[in-house]
Amino acid sequence: MAAETDAPFVVEALSIVKRFGGATALAGVDFRVRRGEIHALLGQNGAGKSTLVKILNGVHRAGSFEGRILLDGRPVSFGSTAQARLGGVGYVPQEIEVLEQLSVAENVFAGQTGLGGRLVRQRVLERQASVLFRELGLDIAPSTLVAALTPAQRHIVMIARALAAKPAVLMLDEPTASLSGAEVDRLFILLRRLKAQGTTMIFITHRLPEVMALCDRATVLRDGRVAAELKRGEFDAGTVIAAMSGQRLSRLYPAHTPPAQSPVLLEIDGLSVAGRGHEQRALEGIDLTLRAGEILGIAGLLGSGRSELLGAIYGSVPYSGRIRVEGRAVTIRRPKDARDAAIALLTEDRKRSGLLFNLPVAKNITIGNLMLFSSGGVLNPGAERAAALRTMRDLRVKAPSPNAAVAHLSGGNQQKLLLGRVLMRQPKILLLDEPTKGVDVGTRSEIYRLIVDLAETGVGLIVVSSELEEVIGLADRCLVMADGRFVDAFERGAGSEERVLRSIAAAQAERAA
Amino acid sequence: MGTLEASGRIGAPPVSARDRLIRLFAVGEVGVIGALVVVVLFFYALEPAFLSERNIRAILTVVSFVGIIAIGQTILLVNGEFDLSVGSVAGLCAVSSAKLMTVFALPVPVAVLGGVLIGAGIGLMNGLVVVRLKIPAFIQTLGMLFIGQGLIQVVTNGYPVYPLPPSVSAVGFARPIFGLGWSFVFFIVAAIAADLMLRRTVLGRNMYATGGNPEVAKLVGIDTDRYKIGAFMLIGALAATAGMFVMADLSSGTTSIGSGWELAVIAGVVVGGVSLFGGAGTMAGGLVGILLLQVVQSGLVVIGVNANWQQIAVGIIMVLAVGLDILRRRFFIAGGAREDAAPADPSPLRSE
Repeated sequence: MAAETDAPFVVEALSIVKRFGGATALAGVDFRVRRGEIHALLGQNGAGKSTLVKILNGVHRAGSFEGRILLDGRPVSFGSTAQARLGGVGYVPQEIEVLEQLSVAENVFAGQTGLGGRLVRQRVLERQASVLFRELGLDIAPSTLVAALTPAQRHIVMIARALAAKPAVLMLDEPTASLSGAEVDRLFILLRRLKAQGTTMIFITHRLPEVMALCDRATVLRDGRVAAELKRGEFDAGTVIAAMSGQRLSRLYPAHTPPAQSPVLLEIDGLSVAGRGHEQRALEGIDLTLRAGEILGIAGLLGSGRSELLGAIYGSVPYSGRIRVEGRAVTIRRPKDARDAAIALLTEDRKRSGLLFNLPVAKNITIGNLMLFSSGGVLNPGAERAAALRTMRDLRVKAPSPNAAVAHLSGGNQQKLLLGRVLMRQPKILLLDEPTKGVDVGTRSEIYRLIVDLAETGVGLIVVSSELEEVIGLADRCLVMADGRFVDAFERGAGSEERVLRSIAAAQAERAA
Repeated sequence: MGTLEASGRIGAPPVSARDRLIRLFAVGEVGVIGALVVVVLFFYALEPAFLSERNIRAILTVVSFVGIIAIGQTILLVNGEFDLSVGSVAGLCAVSSAKLMTVFALPVPVAVLGGVLIGAGIGLMNGLVVVRLKIPAFIQTLGMLFIGQGLIQVVTNGYPVYPLPPSVSAVGFARPIFGLGWSFVFFIVAAIAADLMLRRTVLGRNMYATGGNPEVAKLVGIDTDRYKIGAFMLIGALAATAGMFVMADLSSGTTSIGSGWELAVIAGVVVGGVSLFGGAGTMAGGLVGILLLQVVQSGLVVIGVNANWQQIAVGIIMVLAVGLDILRRRFFIAGGAREDAAPADPSPLRSE
């Protein structure tokens, strides 16, 4: 099953440097994939995996980064994802993107021309699809509507779509993230068959057991550099985790000691949240206690249930279980209930669930807090403006004016604006979902400072982040989450990224067994 | 990761002539008010009788009827929904209240209240279906347009309801100010109240949030469903009011009341810069848009253009106005501050 170690390189990405504004996402990465192998691309969030993937599949077009890309030894430069696809890079995204109202065959050949002339000939498509499916050993009828397929089958349709273009290399971006155990097994059978047919694959994942089961070689990224290149037999959980965590650029986390005996602010008993579709539960009987002045960190990978936990506490996700705030039982059915219980949430996705692009900076800060500057429902514009300006000054939100469009602010300033919004009503419990996502280094340390300052004033904070180092650096107490459960817990100073990754890997292995 | 850092930070802007111009054009109403002035001067130059007292009065009377509904449509659009059924709701409520005051011999105020309640009830139904069943407003209110038209025929058997009690005609014939009827007074008062509501109250601001991004609005604690349903009820009640004013004006519950208004109302407020995608637009803009379209139609009549061309003009103006508005937002407001690395916003109207 091991690929020949001297097979020629299919993909060579050489000295790749990619910067976003002031931040460097990739600082000179060399990434090589040999013909016929399954090559794992590993790294924590923010290590540069997605950036490298986007460079290879043409999302970041040629010219927006430094370095060279060779495909089968020939230099290539992709101006778009379509060019990358035609040029031989097959890409299967993590999110399922299918055309539900079309047949499997139409989905597989979507975007390809030259099949049956200008008019799409359904018959021709279906015949071609059944040929392809026979090669892949699949038993999906090409005429089936995609709407009737399970998520796992849809994923396979996307793989077939990528393969239909006869790519030199197939990139699979976290293909198992939304699959059940049995579905993962079926997918692996398919991938092994593809490998036997000579397909070269890049496999991006967070799950180490999968890497060990499937991959021939692995490249580990860390902080935009290659931390390790490993061959089959060289990688065990320990080596890979050590390479992924290693010594990172040290960031300064402000010192903080939680008060020894402070009142309990939030108590959660047996909190469960239903999963989406056929999945098992997203959260299974979570217990949690948060004290005044405490920073509680929750470390977990995407899909571990961490976002559902915050959503349930804030009332945007239906839950079962008991929630008590300052000793009183509360029922939180919608965000308004949470806000009335002095709970505030900083959402993960600024664009989708944070900013109002139709309102200027000042009104974005005050929305949801208007009761503070109104009497009898009538706004006091002077008081509102003064409060917005105060927030902008206190949090150093840099904007041309309070009337500027929020779309013009940098990510860091948008984030501080949203923090200002949620802090305006002086919450006692603050939930932070990925508080420094897409934020520049300078703003990061401002946000860390602010988090610690809030804790000093007695606010209880829950910080969720997929950057393990951030959770560990900030939290007084850290809970590790995997598959909707807490699998480990440790106090400040007692844990490490390595410990977190080991706990998660152990939980996943246990689950898979 | 990190794509947001790519958008450049903006320092304090130097106040140049260009910036002043940009700021001027960034105010949505400037374009439509400018267009209104140009159009008025154009028709006046061709035919001075266009600005005769009589013609101005005729224009304002029509504007007052359609404008009452446009107030509701602007508020509903700000909330991110719209209503195509307003014309037939206006007609249905007019003939229903006419029946109540004639066949059922109810006192006029009670019959009028009945008409308003029917309008609000239809709005409630529209709102519940759109919000709870998640049926698009386009479908639900288009369906209601047909249902309303059918019910008008059911209620009247196709005959106008006539004669109405004398007090109704008295309201219709009264000219309290500048030779304009009570409908105009109601329109002005309601417009001012609605403008203040949108700009100066918590209610109004929450409506902009609801239309701008319902998910964000919910997360900051706004009950977006209630806002949307309320706006549907308001436009239903306003449509009923407008329908009954026309009925009073005609002294008859005619079956054609309100016919064709739905498109005139939407075209007008959209010309005035109220976004079809929700969360953007002002009361002043929406109502000036209504006035502009009415001025164009009346002007074409006055200078003797064939009536068929009026509709063509309305169509062209609406597409031009929305097209220019999109360009304005793109160039003057979005201002090229985004680099190619930043993800494109799906709708240019939202990225203001």
